[in-house]
Amino acid sequence: MSRGDVLLEFEHVDKYFGDTHVLKDVSLDVANGEVCVVVGPSGSGKSTLLRCANRLEEIQAGEVRLDDRSVSDPDADINRLRQRIGMVFQSFNLFPHKTAIENVTLAPRKVRGVGAADARERGLELLAEVGLSDQADSYPNQLSGGQQQRVAIARALAMDPRVMLFDEVTSALDPELVGEVLGVMRGLADDGMTMMVVTHEMGFAREVADRVVLMDDGRIVETGDPVAFFENPDTDRGAQFLSKLL
Amino acid sequence: MADTYSSAQPDANATADGFLDDRTLKYLGVGLSSFFAMGVVLLVLYILATQVDFGLIPTILPQFIRAYGLVLGIVVTSSVLSVTSGVFVGLARVSKTRLTNAISAAYVQFFRGTPLLFQIFVIYFGIPALWPGLFPIQNWGLPTAIIALTLNHAAYVGEAVRGGIGAVHDGQMEAARSLGMGYIQAMREVVVPQAWRNALAAVGNDQIILVKDTSLLTVIAIPELIQQFRDVNSATFDPWTPIVLVAIAYLSITIPMGRLVTYLEERGDWGGESQ
Repeated sequence: MSRGDVLLEFEHVDKYFGDTHVLKDVSLDVANGEVCVVVGPSGSGKSTLLRCANRLEEIQAGEVRLDDRSVSDPDADINRLRQRIGMVFQSFNLFPHKTAIENVTLAPRKVRGVGAADARERGLELLAEVGLSDQADSYPNQLSGGQQQRVAIARALAMDPRVMLFDEVTSALDPELVGEVLGVMRGLADDGMTMMVVTHEMGFAREVADRVVLMDDGRIVETGDPVAFFENPDTDRGAQFLSKLL
Repeated sequence: MADTYSSAQPDANATADGFLDDRTLKYLGVGLSSFFAMGVVLLVLYILATQVDFGLIPTILPQFIRAYGLVLGIVVTSSVLSVTSGVFVGLARVSKTRLTNAISAAYVQFFRGTPLLFQIFVIYFGIPALWPGLFPIQNWGLPTAIIALTLNHAAYVGEAVRGGIGAVHDGQMEAARSLGMGYIQAMREVVVPQAWRNALAAVGNDQIILVKDTSLLTVIAIPELIQQFRDVNSATFDPWTPIVLVAIAYLSITIPMGRLVTYLEERGDWGGESQ
């Protein structure tokens, strides 16, 4: 697959929580190597859409595909597909009973069967990439929020994913710690990682995104080039959303 | 008002009505508890001096040691079995499979909802009656002890583990599944170790109760510690000598168990206070 081919596809996705229709006929393609940033007011369905990409949420209609293989099909080998889809959460969700390096090596060892020594070597490389070589043996409790989130990114990268999902990963951080996490994400984008990012960080969206998607009330209302979107949105809803941010 | 909480204020500890300030309360507590402690110590000394027949001890010690060994054996066996099966009961209790969930719920309802003494009778008398001759009653006491204690305490351990699993944040399961782990793998590697830490105090508590529950086995003539008390007391009319031996025997098991639980709790701190 070359850069630019469609990697992650949402096709006419409908999702309900009980009677609430949270995703309404959503279609979106994320291309290989693309950084797709999803923005929108809270409750617009952007996190839910992201969570449908690795089936943390089931959908009621439509299809989600990774590299032409269905993720949403009940018969799909979801554990296998999820190895290809890295996910980073707002609340970090590091395993508190494991050190940083153990968090990073757990899945490669238990899911892939990688040997302890190889997993550790690769894990230390990844911790170095996110700037945490010296914290390999710390427990999550002993790390700051920013450090925890960087370990969580390294943990997701350890499975060599095709695409990385970021679910408001800086929202739980103290303001002074946001930069270090966005820095790591920017580095990943520069290395050509395919990324789908739900965020409130408009500066990041503008700078790093290849494409910005605006969601509102369960629908995609506008997608476009970030500069165009932020300078001159196509829709009234886009203009209204941006005006609230200023 | 800036210095309301300042210690420079001479009567900062006084309450509004001035009846019991913090310092008076503290001394009152120390005074009362010392008073009671002293009373207990004096009573124990009095009992040891006037009631305990030290000359009798060498005669009765062998049967107490045999009983102690038997109780330890029953405790270790049923402890291992009830904790192990209790973890599975807990896992079944959180299962989303309706049948597994219902069966484990019914199991807990029955064994937590009826007295252990009753359960001992059901197994000791009820089971052999179903298949006459298959369980000769003279050999059925010890199996009854182990089975009853295991089934009863597995229910309590199961509830403790269920609570422990419930207290693990949903995000832990999501993070594990997102990395490609299956449900069982995620439970084993991520959720259960944390649930175990959460459940430890309750499980330890239950296992200490298990030790004391061996005393009920006296009703099916298991030669455990209470049985030795009754034996000695009815032969000598001396209550206090066997009471002291029984107390020492139980406490020598339960106090170290409490220590072990505290040790395991501290070891599970994972780098400091939890978030």
